[in-house]
Amino acid sequence: MSEQELITVKDLSVSFNGAPAVKNISLAIRAGRVLALVGESGSGKSVTARSLLGLSGGSVSAGELTICGRDALGLDDRAWQKIRGNSISMILQDALMALDPLRPVGREIADGLKDHGSLSKPEREQQVHEVLTSVGMPEPGLRAKQRSPELSGGMRQRALIAQALAGNPQVVIADEATTALDSALTALVLSQLRKLKEQGRGVLMISHDLAQVAHLADDIAVMRHGEIVEAGPAEQVLNHPQHDYTRKLLQAVPSGVPRFAPLSAAGAVPPPVLAPKIIAGPPALSANNLSKSFGKHAAVDAVSFELPRGKTLGIVGESGSGKTTTARMVLGLQKPDSGTVDLLGERFAPLAEGQRRKLREQMGAIYQNPLGSFDPRYSVGQLLADALSGGKTKRTAGYRNEVAGLLEQVELSTSLLPRSPRELSGGQRQRLAIARALAPRPSVLVLDEPVSALDVSIQATVLDLLDRIQRETGTSYLFISHDLSVIEHMSDTVAVMHQGKIIEQGDTASIFASPQQEYTRMLLSAMPRLR
Amino acid sequence: MGTVAWAGRKIGGALVVLWLVATAIFIAIRLIPGDPAEAIMGGPGSQASAEALAAARAEYALDQPLFAQYLLYLGKLLALDFGTSYSLKQPVAQVMGEVLPNTLWLSLLALAAAWLMALCFAAAAIRSSRFASQLGSLMEIIAAAVPHFWLGAVLIMLFSSALGWLPAVDNGSAQGLVLPVLTLALPLAGFLTQLMRDSLGEAMGSQFALAARARGESRLKLFWRHGLRHAALPALGLTGWAFSSLLSGAVVVEAIFARPGLGRSLLSAVLARDIPMVTGIALFSALVYIVVMALAEGLERLINPAGGQR
Amino acid sequence: MSRTAKILSAIVIGLWLLMALAPSVLAPGDPLAINPVQAFQKPGAAHFFGTDESGRDIYTRVIHGASDSLSIGLAATALGMGLAIILGTVAALSPRWIDDIILRVLEALYAIPSLLMALLIIAFTGPGVGPAIVAVGLSTAPGYARLVRSQIRSLKNSEMLESATVLGRGSWLKVRNHLVPNALKPLLALVTLGIGQAVIWAAALSFLGLGAAPPAPEWGAMLSAGRTYLHLAWWMSLFPGLAIVAVAVSATLIGRALGGKVKSL
Repeated sequence: MSEQELITVKDLSVSFNGAPAVKNISLAIRAGRVLALVGESGSGKSVTARSLLGLSGGSVSAGELTICGRDALGLDDRAWQKIRGNSISMILQDALMALDPLRPVGREIADGLKDHGSLSKPEREQQVHEVLTSVGMPEPGLRAKQRSPELSGGMRQRALIAQALAGNPQVVIADEATTALDSALTALVLSQLRKLKEQGRGVLMISHDLAQVAHLADDIAVMRHGEIVEAGPAEQVLNHPQHDYTRKLLQAVPSGVPRFAPLSAAGAVPPPVLAPKIIAGPPALSANNLSKSFGKHAAVDAVSFELPRGKTLGIVGESGSGKTTTARMVLGLQKPDSGTVDLLGERFAPLAEGQRRKLREQMGAIYQNPLGSFDPRYSVGQLLADALSGGKTKRTAGYRNEVAGLLEQVELSTSLLPRSPRELSGGQRQRLAIARALAPRPSVLVLDEPVSALDVSIQATVLDLLDRIQRETGTSYLFISHDLSVIEHMSDTVAVMHQGKIIEQGDTASIFASPQQEYTRMLLSAMPRLR
Repeated sequence: MGTVAWAGRKIGGALVVLWLVATAIFIAIRLIPGDPAEAIMGGPGSQASAEALAAARAEYALDQPLFAQYLLYLGKLLALDFGTSYSLKQPVAQVMGEVLPNTLWLSLLALAAAWLMALCFAAAAIRSSRFASQLGSLMEIIAAAVPHFWLGAVLIMLFSSALGWLPAVDNGSAQGLVLPVLTLALPLAGFLTQLMRDSLGEAMGSQFALAARARGESRLKLFWRHGLRHAALPALGLTGWAFSSLLSGAVVVEAIFARPGLGRSLLSAVLARDIPMVTGIALFSALVYIVVMALAEGLERLINPAGGQR
Repeated sequence: MSRTAKILSAIVIGLWLLMALAPSVLAPGDPLAINPVQAFQKPGAAHFFGTDESGRDIYTRVIHGASDSLSIGLAATALGMGLAIILGTVAALSPRWIDDIILRVLEALYAIPSLLMALLIIAFTGPGVGPAIVAVGLSTAPGYARLVRSQIRSLKNSEMLESATVLGRGSWLKVRNHLVPNALKPLLALVTLGIGQAVIWAAALSFLGLGAAPPAPEWGAMLSAGRTYLHLAWWMSLFPGLAIVAVAVSATLIGRALGGKVKSL
């Protein structure tokens, strides 16, 4: 069964000031089929998508570039304007920013109609109403007059999709459309995309996450360094990958991977099986009835949990669930309205800073974007020396060995010592943050979305590193994330947070196998699974 | 926040600010060593007559306890009685009422001119090359750094002396307004252009701009529909400050171009050490600042009801 | 700050210092020397910038005037920025209620435009160089204090300082290791910008007859004298003004290069 080819690309190359970003790639988007273009940052996937709209911003050359029957090679901007929105349109990543926050969404949607058609104003309004209804927007008449910051997350997402559909395009590009979305919104977007496919349109999904596209994609193309390294029907690419890189990407996806099984090639060497130093005694962390409200909004409501020594407790929840506020209360950065936190059996919060300062060396923190937590004037070596000396000095002179030891522990080369953290890659920065947190040899690490900003393959190496460190040192982890598959892979016990409360808590395996709460079931069903 | 509640808060805040300013002035007058009556009359060297001093004492109730004086002072302000200018022998409020329209008119025209210029320059800057962009940036810095008193002189040199197109001194005509307005407007335009260029550039490079282009929008439409609003927003927020700096610039500009107005009255009042006049004008300009700020904020809310930055 | 920027800045600052401290090196003449025969000479080989109504050489006066104008500007900045740094830092680091009070006062003072406030102060004190310094310093202080406060506040609430707390650092260490060093550069930028502004304001006051008085070669005073003869001898106004603009622009550029993106005017 060969479907009609809506877009045919042969030997497309895009370069910016002589530097090639896309090298000789070929692909086809067919009616009623979803093509997933998967790659990590720098792979050229976004540039490819934009060049299909003439918006790449670089110099484009190709053997063939046919869009819905039209030859799109060498078109000037005015000619491209006729194609954009009509034959092909794009859904961008961030609904809050992809819609002008100063304009009503109805106008954004109507713009495309105004530019292309010759409908009268009431006819346009009618069209806007129809397209909003088709994406399931409640009260479309009212919503059309509102601006994107006034809409809820779900409504914004629908508006974003609507503005791409207003011109009834045959091809829709979804550029990282589900990245950084919580599971309910991800499910929404995926179901809308499925609908588009069923309507006979061609869909191009750009993603860095194979798991996200696994269920929806009919065909998959894997990109790396500007080239397509593997392409074919989804079933074949996922289950019988030919290229090493594809295999690496597949292995890095945490969903369904058992605890401590490595996600990366380097992690494949099993760490020396040091029995985790189980010290009989008080749990690493114990939170009792923590609550915090901001004004009328109860961010955290009677949260209690226990983190045994040498184990990992995963706290999973969507944005707004209160998990970050909980983490801040545990770290003593936010005073709880009520409730207590005990660290290694001793009262930690609420307590005056002076009284708990000496306890602090037992607890460290890792953030999502570590760069903000580093003093911009310090080099890698100075950051570690500062951490080791308790803030007394940043000179590396007396700490050579310890600094080298820390770097080795996180698998960073000592050649990085004089560099500024700004010069490091995302993965290297996170390793540096881990090294710094480990300097005082804490018993507990609080990790708030530690890998969410990293590419999948880098994420895999950092997660493996964290596993190894836990095996070797017996450090306990409080692991916070919105990513269910990461939590499933990394945690011994799990607590599910929703609207400030822990609605379900227990052993990872049992929670994931048979969730008791409706919300948990909803989260799990939306979780992208590869295996 | 509801509009009524918001307006109420604004007015309340304004009153607090005015009260603080008035109190500061009250304290300052009383801090001057010596007889406050003398200070009000123009300082120790003013050689005011005994009757004038007695009149001042009576008017300002200087024989009363301090707190009573303060209350009397505040009460008078509420009744818009700013005292009597001793150098002009008229109530301050009356003098201000006469000269105020000139200055307000001048400042408003300058504000409008500055905005217009800034928008044009910012729009032009978007499509320019890297070199032109840096050159434009330098021009903006220079324009913003040029002092009014020198710019006025230069403009007079150019357009009046050399070319003879425009008059250098106020002669009541509309032509006479051109140079003063330009002198006031150019430095502000330089500053506003920098601001607008930044936010315009940010808007044109943002995600929603990309989305709009993906819908088939032309660059021109992009500017009109999206860019303009985003460019204007931060400048709008600074309008209160801009207007008050225009007022103070008007002092210098009116001096250069020999125009009657609040600025010139203020200058002569300062030279004559006429405290009631000077303080009256200071209080008044504080009031203007607050009113303009409130108006600008109201406008901002209209454009951006969500209230968040961008 | 790039290397070329650093070198250029150093040259410019060096030039200003030379003009202010050892003007005779660049202009050996006497700025006050009267020569009525030579009055109103156009700019030429004998007199680079021409002469004024009393036959004084304008070039010499501009160069020597640097010390007057720059020292007033520097003194006023020292006063204004000194106050601003103290107030702004106290406000930023104090508990909420103290911060609120200081903020309200600052906003109230800020409601009066700088020049008007300076004029107000001169009305109380009388004209002169000293009062001009006080007036410019005090009137610019509230605006700068607000900026200093917001700078320090954003540092105080930064993730960097939070990290330090988690690592167990006490207040003193946090201030010493992180707050102060990171605040220095933006503050230095602000001071540099402030000097440029102060020179302009001080010149404005002299122009209005309220600061330095003729025959001092202060640039504002020279402009004031030049105004009377604008149609006759435009060079009397052009060159002192250029000097002011040059100082203000170079101060702005250096301040920007140091990292200050702050309101001028």
